[in-house]
Amino acid sequence: MTNSKISSIKPLLKIPKLLIFAFLIASFIGFFDATYITAKQYLGTPFNCFINGCEDVIASQYATIGNIPTALLGVIYYLIIFIFVVAYLDTKKRFFINFIAKFVVVGLIASIWFLFVQFFIIKALCLYCLISAGVSIILFILGILVIKSKNISS
Amino acid sequence: MENNQNLTSKENWELKKQSKIKEKEQRKIKKILKRIALWVSVVIGISAAIFVVIKSVDNYLPGQLANNSISDLDWVKGNKDANIILIEYSDFQCSACVHYFPLIKQLVQEFGNEIGFVYRHFPLKQAHHSAELAAWSAEAAGKQDKFWEMHDMIFENQNDWSSRNAEKIFIEYAKFLNLDIEKFKKDINSKEIKNKVENDFQSGIKAGINSTPTFFLNGEKIKNPRNYDEFKNIINQTIIKNS
Repeated sequence: MTNSKISSIKPLLKIPKLLIFAFLIASFIGFFDATYITAKQYLGTPFNCFINGCEDVIASQYATIGNIPTALLGVIYYLIIFIFVVAYLDTKKRFFINFIAKFVVVGLIASIWFLFVQFFIIKALCLYCLISAGVSIILFILGILVIKSKNISS
Repeated sequence: MENNQNLTSKENWELKKQSKIKEKEQRKIKKILKRIALWVSVVIGISAAIFVVIKSVDNYLPGQLANNSISDLDWVKGNKDANIILIEYSDFQCSACVHYFPLIKQLVQEFGNEIGFVYRHFPLKQAHHSAELAAWSAEAAGKQDKFWEMHDMIFENQNDWSSRNAEKIFIEYAKFLNLDIEKFKKDINSKEIKNKVENDFQSGIKAGINSTPTFFLNGEKIKNPRNYDEFKNIINQTIIKNS
């Protein structure tokens, strides 16, 4: 095995398992939360919201893009992350985790936008959307930690 | 003798080689099984999550009716925390709904804080071409805190707007109610209000409604009472049952 080969594999070992599992758990929570919002939107049943405002947020024009509920995009987003983390665990190919570390920026930008919409435009808060925003921020932090661990190891 | 020994060591070597191959194969199979187990558990996990969510959402409507819980966006008359919750799925353009309109008004007046009356839209668009617009108009008035006033005007004058230019007439009602007309016009066409009416409609579909009006009393779908006294009796019985 040449030196260059060794150095390309070395960073793989440097990503703490805890970080990977945190990714796995956070993306699963996000997926569960987004699926719940999507199902509620499609079935039109009222929310079990512990703070007033879920309905205002979900019934607003910002809750859909065309005919697609934004929550459904959230489901796809979290599912991609979850599958890629599992793919990384399975194959140990650095590509998967590197991709996620960059991909989480999409979720962060979307979350900032939705927080802005809730606080300043609709002026109502949806608990489930806040959970999703929280998860996106956590995923972003995990993404930074992955990139950092990569830099340390290389 | 030497030849035999040679053969034995050769055999030994061969055996070792074979066992090594076998071990390698076993490791390979183990690895494949591990991978299969990983992906199968992922599929099971995701499916279970979807199943749990759909199950909880699917069960929510009857549960929500049975538990008397009312959503934030529901229009409620009377006491929304009352033990008796009467939910009506109604269409502003249906003649039977107009028939029940004064009865409900009277019931709410008579029972006061003992009941909460919830109005939900169920516009039968194909049969009643202005029903949805009427629902949007009531919601748009609701944006300016005049839902019930508009609701009453729409029902009281059903004959006037059913056969004529309904939108123009609803704007007249809005003027009469001193609403901000520009806002009202904008709200009628807003996605938010259309979604609200559609959400009500979809929740009705989920509850198995196919006609209007349909009433749910504490979560139980009731047969439409023939007159005020019958309606009152049904509510009284429920009050007794709950006390």
